[in-house]
Amino acid sequence: MALCNFWGKLVTVAGFEADDTLEQDAQLVQQCLQGDGSAWEELVRRHTRRIFNICYRFTGNGTEAEDLSQEVFLRVYKTIGSYRSAYGGFATWMTSVTRNLLIDHYRRTKRDRITDSLDDAMPVVENKESAGRRPDQQLLLGELSHQVQTALTKLSPELREAVILRDLQQLEYNEIRQVLDVPEGTVKSRINRGRIELARILNQMGVRPS
Amino acid sequence: MTWNCEQIEARLSDYLDGLLTPDERREFDAHVNDCEACVPLLASVSHLLSDLRSLEAIPEPPRLAYDILNLTLGPRAVKKGWLGGFSWVRLLTSPRFAYSAVSLVATALIILTASGFSFRKPKLADLSPVNIYRTADRQAHLVYARSTKFVSDLRVVYEIQSRLNKDNELPTEPESTVPQSAPGKNPGSTDGTKPATPRQQNRANGIGREIEVLAEEIPVVSLKLCPMLLGRRLQ
Repeated sequence: MALCNFWGKLVTVAGFEADDTLEQDAQLVQQCLQGDGSAWEELVRRHTRRIFNICYRFTGNGTEAEDLSQEVFLRVYKTIGSYRSAYGGFATWMTSVTRNLLIDHYRRTKRDRITDSLDDAMPVVENKESAGRRPDQQLLLGELSHQVQTALTKLSPELREAVILRDLQQLEYNEIRQVLDVPEGTVKSRINRGRIELARILNQMGVRPS
Repeated sequence: MTWNCEQIEARLSDYLDGLLTPDERREFDAHVNDCEACVPLLASVSHLLSDLRSLEAIPEPPRLAYDILNLTLGPRAVKKGWLGGFSWVRLLTSPRFAYSAVSLVATALIILTASGFSFRKPKLADLSPVNIYRTADRQAHLVYARSTKFVSDLRVVYEIQSRLNKDNELPTEPESTVPQSAPGKNPGSTDGTKPATPRQQNRANGIGREIEVLAEEIPVVSLKLCPMLLGRRLQ
Protein backbone atom coordinates (compact mmCIF):
# COMPACT_ATOMS: atom_id res chain seq x y z
CA MET A 1 0.00 0.00 0.00
CA ALA A 2 2.91 2.31 0.76
CA LEU A 3 4.24 1.44 -2.68
CA CYS A 4 0.94 2.48 -4.25
CA ASN A 5 0.93 5.80 -2.39
CA PHE A 6 4.51 6.49 -3.38
CA TRP A 7 3.80 5.63 -7.00
CA GLY A 8 0.74 7.88 -6.97
CA LYS A 9 2.83 10.81 -5.70
CA LEU A 10 5.57 10.08 -8.23
CA VAL A 11 3.06 10.10 -11.04
CA THR A 12 1.67 13.44 -9.81
CA VAL A 13 5.12 15.01 -9.70
CA ALA A 14 6.07 13.47 -13.02
CA GLY A 15 2.85 14.82 -14.50
CA PHE A 16 3.63 18.33 -13.36
CA GLU A 17 7.15 18.14 -14.75
CA ALA A 18 5.91 16.44 -17.92
CA ASP A 19 3.74 19.47 -18.75
CA ASP A 20 6.82 21.66 -18.80
CA THR A 21 8.68 19.12 -20.93
CA LEU A 22 5.74 18.89 -23.33
CA GLU A 23 5.81 22.64 -23.83
CA GLN A 24 9.54 22.69 -24.42
CA ASP A 25 9.31 19.84 -26.90
CA ALA A 26 6.50 21.55 -28.78
CA GLN A 27 8.55 24.72 -29.01
CA LEU A 28 11.59 22.85 -30.30
CA VAL A 29 9.48 21.06 -32.88
CA GLN A 30 8.16 24.40 -34.17
CA GLN A 31 11.73 25.67 -34.45
CA CYS A 32 12.75 22.52 -36.30
CA LEU A 33 9.97 23.02 -38.78
CA GLN A 34 11.34 26.51 -39.41
CA GLY A 35 14.71 25.02 -40.25
CA ASP A 36 16.51 25.56 -36.96
CA GLY A 37 19.22 22.89 -36.81
CA SER A 38 20.11 23.65 -33.20
CA ALA A 39 16.52 22.89 -32.16
CA TRP A 40 16.85 19.45 -33.76
CA GLU A 41 20.14 18.92 -31.96
CA GLU A 42 18.41 19.75 -28.68
CA LEU A 43 15.60 17.29 -29.41
CA VAL A 44 18.15 14.58 -30.18
CA ARG A 45 20.01 15.33 -26.98
CA ARG A 46 16.82 15.18 -24.88
CA HIS A 47 15.44 11.92 -26.25
CA THR A 48 18.43 9.80 -27.24
CA ARG A 49 18.80 7.99 -23.95
CA ARG A 50 15.10 7.28 -23.61
CA ILE A 51 14.76 5.87 -27.13
CA PHE A 52 17.93 3.84 -26.72
CA ASN A 53 16.61 2.32 -23.50
CA ILE A 54 13.32 1.32 -25.11
CA CYS A 55 15.16 -0.29 -28.02
CA TYR A 56 17.67 -2.05 -25.79
CA ARG A 57 15.10 -3.37 -23.35
CA PHE A 58 13.02 -4.71 -26.24
CA THR A 59 15.84 -6.28 -28.27
CA GLY A 60 18.30 -7.16 -25.54
CA ASN A 61 21.13 -6.33 -27.91
CA GLY A 62 23.23 -3.17 -27.68
CA THR A 63 24.24 -3.04 -31.35
CA GLU A 64 20.71 -3.59 -32.57
CA ALA A 65 19.45 -1.00 -30.11
CA GLU A 66 21.96 1.53 -31.45
CA ASP A 67 21.01 0.89 -35.07
CA LEU A 68 17.32 1.00 -34.29
CA SER A 69 17.71 4.25 -32.36
CA GLN A 70 19.32 5.86 -35.38
CA GLU A 71 16.51 4.58 -37.57
CA VAL A 72 13.96 6.04 -35.17
CA PHE A 73 15.51 9.49 -35.26
CA LEU A 74 15.91 9.38 -39.02
CA ARG A 75 12.26 8.52 -39.45
CA VAL A 76 11.23 11.21 -36.96
CA TYR A 77 13.42 13.74 -38.78
CA LYS A 78 11.79 12.92 -42.10
CA THR A 79 8.22 12.89 -40.82
CA ILE A 80 8.35 15.62 -38.18
CA GLY A 81 6.21 17.76 -40.45
CA SER A 82 3.36 15.31 -39.96
CA TYR A 83 3.42 15.63 -36.16
CA ARG A 84 0.48 17.44 -34.66
CA SER A 85 0.21 18.35 -31.00
CA ALA A 86 -3.41 17.21 -31.12
CA TYR A 87 -2.05 13.66 -31.37
CA GLY A 88 -0.47 14.02 -27.93
CA GLY A 89 2.96 14.89 -26.67
CA PHE A 90 5.96 14.78 -28.96
CA ALA A 91 7.61 12.18 -26.70
CA THR A 92 4.53 9.95 -26.99
CA TRP A 93 4.54 10.30 -30.76
CA MET A 94 8.23 9.48 -30.86
CA THR A 95 7.65 6.42 -28.65
CA SER A 96 4.96 5.31 -31.05
CA VAL A 97 7.39 5.56 -33.97
CA THR A 98 9.93 3.59 -31.93
CA ARG A 99 7.45 0.90 -31.08
CA ASN A 100 6.40 0.45 -34.71
CA LEU A 101 10.02 0.11 -35.81
CA LEU A 102 10.70 -2.41 -33.06
CA ILE A 103 7.75 -4.56 -34.09
CA ASP A 104 8.82 -4.41 -37.72
CA HIS A 105 12.34 -5.40 -36.72
CA TYR A 106 11.01 -8.23 -34.57
CA ARG A 107 8.97 -9.66 -37.41
CA ARG A 108 11.91 -9.40 -39.81
CA THR A 109 14.24 -11.24 -37.46
CA LYS A 110 11.69 -13.66 -35.99
CA ARG A 111 12.96 -16.66 -37.84
CA ASP A 112 16.51 -16.01 -36.64
CA ARG A 113 15.58 -16.20 -32.99
CA ILE A 114 15.26 -19.17 -30.67
CA THR A 115 11.63 -19.72 -29.74
CA ASP A 116 10.91 -18.30 -26.30
CA SER A 117 8.65 -20.45 -24.24
CA LEU A 118 7.89 -20.85 -20.60
CA ASP A 119 7.88 -24.64 -21.12
CA ASP A 120 11.57 -24.63 -21.91
CA ALA A 121 13.84 -25.52 -19.02
CA MET A 122 15.51 -22.44 -17.80
CA PRO A 123 19.02 -22.52 -16.43
CA VAL A 124 19.44 -21.29 -12.92
CA VAL A 125 21.39 -18.10 -12.94
CA GLU A 126 24.84 -18.92 -11.62
CA ASN A 127 25.22 -15.72 -9.75
CA LYS A 128 22.23 -16.47 -7.52
CA GLU A 129 24.55 -17.54 -4.72
CA SER A 130 27.28 -15.09 -5.53
CA ALA A 131 24.83 -12.16 -5.42
CA GLY A 132 24.56 -12.53 -1.69
CA ARG A 133 28.35 -12.23 -1.32
CA ARG A 134 28.54 -8.87 -3.09
CA PRO A 135 27.77 -6.02 -0.76
CA ASP A 136 28.10 -3.35 -3.47
CA GLN A 137 24.60 -2.15 -4.29
CA GLN A 138 25.81 -0.86 -7.66
CA LEU A 139 26.89 -4.34 -8.68
CA LEU A 140 23.60 -5.78 -7.50
CA LEU A 141 21.71 -3.32 -9.68
CA GLY A 142 23.87 -4.31 -12.61
CA GLU A 143 23.10 -7.97 -12.07
CA LEU A 144 19.46 -7.27 -11.51
CA SER A 145 19.33 -5.27 -14.71
CA HIS A 146 20.88 -8.18 -16.58
CA GLN A 147 18.50 -10.68 -15.00
CA VAL A 148 15.48 -8.53 -15.78
CA GLN A 149 16.71 -8.15 -19.35
CA THR A 150 17.09 -11.91 -19.73
CA ALA A 151 13.57 -12.43 -18.38
CA LEU A 152 12.13 -9.68 -20.61
CA THR A 153 13.40 -11.35 -23.76
CA LYS A 154 11.42 -14.46 -22.80
CA LEU A 155 8.13 -12.56 -22.80
CA SER A 156 6.01 -12.30 -25.91
CA PRO A 157 6.44 -8.96 -27.74
CA GLU A 158 2.99 -7.71 -26.77
CA LEU A 159 3.55 -8.27 -23.05
CA ARG A 160 7.18 -7.15 -23.23
CA GLU A 161 6.40 -3.75 -24.76
CA ALA A 162 3.58 -3.16 -22.28
CA VAL A 163 5.83 -3.82 -19.26
CA ILE A 164 8.68 -1.76 -20.73
CA LEU A 165 6.45 1.23 -21.40
CA ARG A 166 4.68 1.09 -18.04
CA ASP A 167 7.29 -0.03 -15.52
CA LEU A 168 10.57 1.02 -17.16
CA GLN A 169 9.50 4.17 -19.00
CA GLN A 170 6.79 5.18 -16.49
CA LEU A 171 4.27 6.06 -19.19
CA GLU A 172 0.66 6.63 -18.20
CA TYR A 173 -2.04 4.21 -19.31
CA ASN A 174 -3.43 6.85 -21.65
CA GLU A 175 -0.04 7.37 -23.30
CA ILE A 176 0.51 3.61 -23.68
CA ARG A 177 -2.92 3.38 -25.28
CA GLN A 178 -1.84 5.97 -27.85
CA VAL A 179 1.49 4.26 -28.49
CA LEU A 180 0.06 0.78 -28.89
CA ASP A 181 -3.14 1.97 -30.53
CA VAL A 182 -5.29 -0.44 -28.51
CA PRO A 183 -8.08 0.15 -25.98
CA GLU A 184 -7.10 1.00 -22.43
CA GLY A 185 -8.61 -2.23 -21.15
CA THR A 186 -6.26 -4.15 -23.42
CA VAL A 187 -3.34 -2.07 -22.14
CA LYS A 188 -4.17 -2.91 -18.52
CA SER A 189 -4.64 -6.56 -19.34
CA ARG A 190 -1.28 -6.81 -21.13
CA ILE A 191 0.53 -4.99 -18.34
CA ASN A 192 -1.01 -7.26 -15.74
CA ARG A 193 -0.22 -10.45 -17.59
CA GLY A 194 3.24 -9.19 -18.46
CA ARG A 195 4.08 -8.48 -14.84
CA ILE A 196 2.81 -11.85 -13.64
CA GLU A 197 4.70 -13.67 -16.40
CA LEU A 198 7.87 -11.70 -15.72
CA ALA A 199 7.66 -12.47 -11.99
CA ARG A 200 7.21 -16.16 -12.68
CA ILE A 201 10.17 -16.18 -15.10
CA LEU A 202 12.40 -14.49 -12.56
CA ASN A 203 11.30 -16.93 -9.86
CA GLN A 204 12.10 -19.85 -12.15
CA MET A 205 15.49 -18.28 -12.88
CA GLY A 206 16.09 -18.38 -9.16
CA VAL A 207 16.33 -14.64 -8.72
CA ARG A 208 15.58 -13.73 -5.12
CA PRO A 209 13.16 -10.86 -4.58
CA SER A 210 14.75 -7.64 -3.24
CA MET B 1 -19.15 -10.72 -2.99
CA THR B 2 -15.99 -12.64 -2.21
CA TRP B 3 -13.35 -12.62 -4.89
CA ASN B 4 -11.71 -15.77 -6.20
CA CYS B 5 -8.11 -16.34 -7.26
CA GLU B 6 -8.86 -15.61 -10.91
CA GLN B 7 -10.27 -12.23 -10.05
CA ILE B 8 -7.32 -11.52 -7.79
CA GLU B 9 -4.92 -12.31 -10.61
CA ALA B 10 -6.91 -10.25 -13.10
CA ARG B 11 -6.95 -7.15 -10.84
CA LEU B 12 -3.48 -7.57 -9.37
CA SER B 13 -1.96 -4.65 -11.29
CA ASP B 14 -4.89 -2.39 -10.49
CA TYR B 15 -4.33 -3.16 -6.82
CA LEU B 16 -0.62 -2.43 -7.01
CA ASP B 17 -1.19 0.78 -9.00
CA GLY B 18 -3.83 1.98 -6.56
CA LEU B 19 -6.66 1.87 -9.07
CA LEU B 20 -9.13 -0.18 -7.04
CA THR B 21 -12.09 1.42 -5.32
CA PRO B 22 -12.17 1.16 -1.52
CA ASP B 23 -14.76 -1.63 -1.70
CA GLU B 24 -12.72 -3.53 -4.26
CA ARG B 25 -9.60 -3.12 -2.15
CA ARG B 26 -11.41 -4.54 0.85
CA GLU B 27 -12.51 -7.56 -1.15
CA PHE B 28 -8.99 -7.99 -2.49
CA ASP B 29 -7.39 -7.83 0.95
CA ALA B 30 -10.00 -10.14 2.42
CA HIS B 31 -9.23 -12.87 -0.12
CA VAL B 32 -5.42 -12.45 -0.09
CA ASN B 33 -5.27 -12.63 3.70
CA ASP B 34 -6.84 -16.08 3.62
CA CYS B 35 -5.42 -17.52 0.39
CA GLU B 36 -2.10 -19.38 0.43
CA ALA B 37 -1.79 -19.30 -3.38
CA CYS B 38 -2.37 -15.56 -3.83
CA VAL B 39 0.02 -14.36 -1.14
CA PRO B 40 3.22 -15.46 -2.93
CA LEU B 41 1.87 -14.15 -6.24
CA LEU B 42 1.19 -10.72 -4.75
CA ALA B 43 4.58 -10.69 -3.04
CA SER B 44 6.53 -11.68 -6.16
CA VAL B 45 4.81 -9.14 -8.42
CA SER B 46 5.15 -6.43 -5.78
CA HIS B 47 8.87 -7.15 -5.45
CA LEU B 48 9.20 -7.18 -9.22
CA LEU B 49 7.69 -3.71 -9.47
CA SER B 50 10.04 -2.31 -6.87
CA ASP B 51 12.98 -3.94 -8.71
CA LEU B 52 11.91 -2.52 -12.06
CA ARG B 53 11.49 0.97 -10.67
CA SER B 54 14.90 0.81 -9.05
CA LEU B 55 16.60 0.10 -12.36
CA GLU B 56 18.58 3.03 -13.69
CA ALA B 57 18.43 4.11 -17.30
CA ILE B 58 21.15 2.49 -19.38
CA PRO B 59 23.62 5.10 -20.64
CA GLU B 60 23.60 5.36 -24.41
CA PRO B 61 26.85 4.91 -26.38
CA PRO B 62 28.81 8.18 -26.32
CA ARG B 63 28.77 8.66 -30.07
CA LEU B 64 25.13 7.77 -30.63
CA ALA B 65 23.82 11.35 -30.59
CA TYR B 66 26.69 12.44 -32.84
CA ASP B 67 25.95 9.64 -35.31
CA ILE B 68 22.26 10.54 -35.28
CA LEU B 69 23.05 14.15 -36.07
CA ASN B 70 25.41 13.12 -38.87
CA LEU B 71 22.69 10.89 -40.28
CA THR B 72 20.00 13.57 -40.15
CA LEU B 73 21.77 16.90 -40.56
CA GLY B 74 24.64 15.60 -42.59
CA PRO B 75 28.31 15.12 -41.79
CA ARG B 76 29.79 17.89 -39.70
CA ALA B 77 32.76 19.79 -41.13
CA VAL B 78 35.63 18.68 -38.97
CA LYS B 79 38.72 20.83 -39.12
CA LYS B 80 41.79 18.77 -39.61
CA GLY B 81 45.40 19.47 -38.97
CA TRP B 82 46.64 22.19 -36.66
CA LEU B 83 43.44 24.23 -37.16
CA GLY B 84 41.47 21.44 -35.52
CA GLY B 85 43.41 22.09 -32.35
CA PHE B 86 41.76 25.49 -32.08
CA SER B 87 38.20 24.18 -32.33
CA TRP B 88 37.80 24.74 -28.59
CA VAL B 89 38.13 28.49 -29.17
CA ARG B 90 34.55 28.50 -30.45
CA LEU B 91 33.38 27.57 -26.95
CA LEU B 92 34.89 30.79 -25.60
CA THR B 93 32.44 32.84 -27.61
CA SER B 94 29.43 31.33 -25.88
CA PRO B 95 27.61 33.92 -23.70
CA ARG B 96 27.71 31.70 -20.64
CA PHE B 97 31.48 31.41 -20.78
CA ALA B 98 31.88 35.13 -21.44
CA TYR B 99 29.76 36.09 -18.40
CA SER B 100 31.68 33.71 -16.18
CA ALA B 101 35.02 35.02 -17.41
CA VAL B 102 34.06 38.66 -16.85
CA SER B 103 32.80 37.88 -13.33
CA LEU B 104 36.02 36.08 -12.53
CA VAL B 105 38.21 38.91 -13.79
CA ALA B 106 36.17 41.53 -11.90
CA THR B 107 36.43 39.53 -8.67
CA ALA B 108 40.18 39.14 -9.09
CA LEU B 109 40.61 42.88 -9.74
CA ILE B 110 38.61 43.80 -6.65
CA ILE B 111 40.58 41.40 -4.46
CA LEU B 112 43.93 42.61 -5.81
CA THR B 113 42.97 46.26 -5.37
CA ALA B 114 41.78 45.70 -1.81
CA SER B 115 44.96 43.82 -1.00
CA GLY B 116 47.09 46.76 -2.08
CA PHE B 117 48.53 45.25 -5.20
CA SER B 118 50.11 47.94 -7.35
CA PHE B 119 49.22 47.60 -11.01
CA ARG B 120 51.77 50.22 -12.06
CA LYS B 121 54.67 48.53 -10.30
CA PRO B 122 53.65 44.94 -9.85
CA LYS B 123 55.76 42.75 -7.64
CA LEU B 124 55.54 39.04 -7.27
CA ALA B 125 55.97 39.37 -3.52
CA ASP B 126 52.72 41.33 -3.35
CA LEU B 127 50.83 38.19 -4.29
CA SER B 128 52.07 36.19 -1.34
CA PRO B 129 49.25 35.41 1.13
CA VAL B 130 51.19 36.83 4.09
CA ASN B 131 51.73 40.17 2.33
CA ILE B 132 48.14 40.29 1.18
CA TYR B 133 46.95 39.71 4.76
CA ARG B 134 49.27 42.33 6.20
CA THR B 135 48.29 44.90 3.59
CA ALA B 136 44.61 44.24 4.07
CA ASP B 137 44.99 44.47 7.85
CA ARG B 138 46.90 47.75 7.59
CA GLN B 139 44.35 49.19 5.18
CA ALA B 140 41.51 48.20 7.47
CA HIS B 141 43.12 49.86 10.48
CA LEU B 142 43.86 53.01 8.49
CA VAL B 143 40.30 53.29 7.31
CA TYR B 144 39.00 52.72 10.83
CA ALA B 145 41.32 55.34 12.32
CA ARG B 146 40.47 57.92 9.66
CA SER B 147 36.76 57.41 10.05
CA THR B 148 37.01 57.65 13.82
CA LYS B 149 38.98 60.90 13.60
CA PHE B 150 36.53 62.29 11.09
CA VAL B 151 33.57 61.56 13.34
CA SER B 152 35.37 63.02 16.34
CA ASP B 153 36.26 66.20 14.44
CA LEU B 154 32.67 66.60 13.36
CA ARG B 155 31.51 66.24 16.94
CA VAL B 156 33.89 68.90 18.21
CA VAL B 157 33.01 71.37 15.48
CA TYR B 158 29.35 70.82 16.19
CA GLU B 159 29.86 71.47 19.88
CA ILE B 160 31.82 74.66 19.23
CA GLN B 161 29.19 75.89 16.82
CA SER B 162 26.37 75.16 19.20
CA ARG B 163 28.12 76.95 22.05
CA LEU B 164 28.85 79.99 19.91
CA ASN B 165 25.25 80.08 18.76
CA LYS B 166 24.06 80.01 22.36
CA ASP B 167 26.49 82.79 23.13
CA ASN B 168 24.97 85.00 20.48
CA GLU B 169 21.41 84.33 21.68
CA LEU B 170 21.93 85.60 25.25
CA PRO B 171 20.12 89.03 25.70
CA THR B 172 22.64 90.59 28.22
CA GLU B 173 25.15 93.35 27.47
CA PRO B 174 28.29 92.23 25.84
CA GLU B 175 30.42 93.37 28.86
CA SER B 176 28.30 91.33 31.24
CA THR B 177 28.37 88.13 29.20
CA VAL B 178 31.80 87.33 30.40
CA PRO B 179 32.29 88.58 33.92
CA GLN B 180 35.20 91.00 34.38
CA SER B 181 37.91 89.50 36.42
CA ALA B 182 41.26 90.75 37.37
CA PRO B 183 44.15 88.81 36.02
CA GLY B 184 45.32 86.19 38.38
CA LYS B 185 42.02 85.80 40.11
CA ASN B 186 39.87 82.72 39.70
CA PRO B 187 37.61 82.62 36.68
CA GLY B 188 34.26 84.03 37.46
CA SER B 189 35.45 86.33 40.21
CA THR B 190 35.25 90.03 39.49
CA ASP B 191 37.23 93.04 40.60
CA GLY B 192 34.20 94.32 42.40
CA THR B 193 33.35 97.11 39.97
CA LYS B 194 30.37 95.29 38.73
CA PRO B 195 29.14 92.15 40.52
CA ALA B 196 28.53 89.13 38.17
CA THR B 197 25.32 87.16 38.56
CA PRO B 198 25.63 83.51 39.59
CA ARG B 199 24.38 82.45 36.22
CA GLN B 200 26.96 84.50 34.43
CA GLN B 201 29.63 83.24 36.76
CA ASN B 202 28.67 79.59 36.20
CA ARG B 203 28.53 80.15 32.52
CA ALA B 204 31.99 81.64 32.51
CA ASN B 205 33.31 78.69 34.48
CA GLY B 206 31.68 76.28 32.04
CA ILE B 207 33.06 77.98 29.00
CA GLY B 208 36.51 77.96 30.52
CA ARG B 209 36.36 74.27 31.25
CA GLU B 210 35.13 73.45 27.78
CA ILE B 211 37.87 75.47 26.20
CA GLU B 212 40.41 73.48 28.19
CA VAL B 213 38.87 70.21 27.02
CA LEU B 214 38.76 71.32 23.44
CA ALA B 215 42.33 72.54 23.65
CA GLU B 216 43.45 69.08 24.58
CA GLU B 217 41.60 67.54 21.69
CA ILE B 218 42.37 69.95 18.93
CA PRO B 219 45.48 71.97 19.48
CA VAL B 220 45.14 73.76 16.16
CA VAL B 221 41.53 74.72 16.73
CA SER B 222 42.29 75.85 20.24
CA LEU B 223 45.16 78.03 19.06
CA LYS B 224 42.78 79.85 16.75
CA LEU B 225 39.87 80.09 19.13
CA CYS B 226 41.64 80.85 22.38
CA PRO B 227 42.96 84.29 21.43
CA MET B 228 39.48 85.28 20.31
CA LEU B 229 37.81 84.02 23.51
CA LEU B 230 40.59 85.23 25.78
CA GLY B 231 40.35 88.61 24.17
CA ARG B 232 36.67 88.78 24.94
CA ARG B 233 37.27 87.69 28.54
CA LEU B 234 39.97 90.31 29.10
CA GLN B 235 37.75 93.14 27.87
